[in-house]
Amino acid sequence: MSEPDWQRLSARNLLIDPVKVLGQFAFPAAIALVGISSGDRAMPWWAVPVVALGAVVFGVLPWLTTFYRTTDTQFQTRSGLLNKKSKTAPLDRVRSVDLEASLLHRLVGLTKVQIGTGVDDDRITLDSLTVREAADLRAFLLSRRAPVTVPADADTLPAGADEVATPGGVRTGEPARVLAEIDWAWLRFAPFSLARLVVVAAAVGALSQFGDQLPVADTAESAWHWVAQFALSLVIAGLVIGALVSWIMVAVTGYVVQWWNMRLTREAGSLQLTAGLFTTRSITVEEKRVRGVEMKEPVLLRLVGGAELATLATGVGSGGVTAILPPCPRSVATSVGADVLETHEPMSVALTQHGPAARRRAWIRQLWGALLVTAIPLVASLWLAVPTWLPVVVGVVALAFAAVSGESAYRHLGHATTPEHLVVGSGELTRVRTVLEHDGIIGWVVQQSWFQRRLALATLVATTAAGAERVVARDIPLTAAIRLADASTPGVLSPWLS
Amino acid sequence: MSAVSGSVDLREPAHQVSPRAVTYWRVSALIGAVVEWIIAISLFAFAVPAVSEGPGRPWWAVPALVLALVLPLAHVAVMPQLRFRIHRWEITPTAIHTRAGWLRIDSRIAPLSRVQTVDSTQGALMRMFRLASLTVTTASAAGPITIDCLDRDVARRLVHELTEITGASEGDAT
Repeated sequence: MSEPDWQRLSARNLLIDPVKVLGQFAFPAAIALVGISSGDRAMPWWAVPVVALGAVVFGVLPWLTTFYRTTDTQFQTRSGLLNKKSKTAPLDRVRSVDLEASLLHRLVGLTKVQIGTGVDDDRITLDSLTVREAADLRAFLLSRRAPVTVPADADTLPAGADEVATPGGVRTGEPARVLAEIDWAWLRFAPFSLARLVVVAAAVGALSQFGDQLPVADTAESAWHWVAQFALSLVIAGLVIGALVSWIMVAVTGYVVQWWNMRLTREAGSLQLTAGLFTTRSITVEEKRVRGVEMKEPVLLRLVGGAELATLATGVGSGGVTAILPPCPRSVATSVGADVLETHEPMSVALTQHGPAARRRAWIRQLWGALLVTAIPLVASLWLAVPTWLPVVVGVVALAFAAVSGESAYRHLGHATTPEHLVVGSGELTRVRTVLEHDGIIGWVVQQSWFQRRLALATLVATTAAGAERVVARDIPLTAAIRLADASTPGVLSPWLS
Repeated sequence: MSAVSGSVDLREPAHQVSPRAVTYWRVSALIGAVVEWIIAISLFAFAVPAVSEGPGRPWWAVPALVLALVLPLAHVAVMPQLRFRIHRWEITPTAIHTRAGWLRIDSRIAPLSRVQTVDSTQGALMRMFRLASLTVTTASAAGPITIDCLDRDVARRLVHELTEITGASEGDAT
């Protein structure tokens, strides 16, 4: 198998790449066309064919110029027409192979392949191979890395785009074990996870930008006055209910689209996550690269007993944090977390709290925010006619919020160490439990501000290559910080311990 | 650092940086102060009268100017000595430990087995004082360790030693 031939991407790309190019250029092209046709001259007759031809030419280029091959020791790609680019990855350095198929890809049975090599953010992308080629390539790459190898049996792979979710896979004696599968009873958590609210808010904001210019606006305004005359409270109630219902629909739809057919499996030393209704993603991470997990309980989700779980890994792109479970019951998150870590202790161990001085600092930090918020209407009242009750109301609400978030921020603080893991609690309204393997700790930073020094507190940072590259224990008593660091990485601190 | 109750304490690193660092920090702080003074004075002389209503300057203009002139001076006077007392470093055969900062103090420790690169850098001003900074990076973006303002020859020797030690360790240090 020395110096095998270069292979092209799937020829089916010729069907979809021009469409993708059109999609990318649709907006500027439309503007240009409108601009031309609204001028004195009419739109030239050749504009449409030129755009179509351009799309085809640019769409065909990637297929014409991209090649890949696997040698005995390396995976190589070369691409580019004018700027030639070639990438090589030693086979034993391949850490993750992800498959992703958008709706367009799935229509023609293609899958995008992304290969991670442990070097941050530098991933090799093949866009796209047929579903079977992709599955075979993945099986081959992952088996070259795993100790026991049996080539994947391509004949058992049924055809069809849906099978991206369950490719032939790597066979290495040990059968795939399912760690978690979607349970549609979890759908009840969808409305309590506000991550998607940002998207909705952005959409509403964008719409309101155009709102003024819509001809509907005037009619709507006069209708509004007419209604508001006799039933303001009814209208407000209606609006609130309408907003709630549409939020629930958006949240549930988003949840279904993102987590359709979710399956988390452990196979041949890798974790594999597949999910997606329209775009199917299939993420594989070598377990050696998974240095820990992070469980998040945002405040609303916690009220209904839900949690989210992500892995902290090195060399997988996307910031190293990969969500492996949708919002789901806390018990599921802890048990899957324990499965991933192969020990249940870090997920359940009680955290040592950081003491009264840390509580005081948590409160004070929030109270400053409350003071600032209260100051805004006070300062405004110097120049504007602000009703006197407004600063009072704002102050009371801000103080109450500061008290709640200060206390909850303190309660979420905590630390623990188990035989193999460092566990740190953090978060203000969201409760976060970060678990990091001792082996994944690269170094320590002990930060002390002037105020912290007076209280013998410190902020302890464990630096790591996984996830967000740091795990932070805020306002931990200095002695506890040193003990924790020494217990987690024995020997590193010992020259300086007294 | 403040006294710590209990039996565990982290001893400070053994070595101080070059004594010439004090002058270097003072000179660079002075350069910064001069820039701030020029900005403050020109704001006071031109910008404030231009935007204020009525004749003369508002009552807060003079106290603000005094503050803007005195604060950088205090920084120049206090910071270099304080920083020299706090900045410390030590490298053992297995680990590197540094302490830096002046208002906020950071202690950093990393095992040498996790070190990826060793660099030394020298700004133009630093060169005049025969100083150099040493930076040791690890696989974590949160983990670079810098020793500011070492004597140039010490920095050169340390780079040499560290490269030998880290070159010998196996694995990709993640």
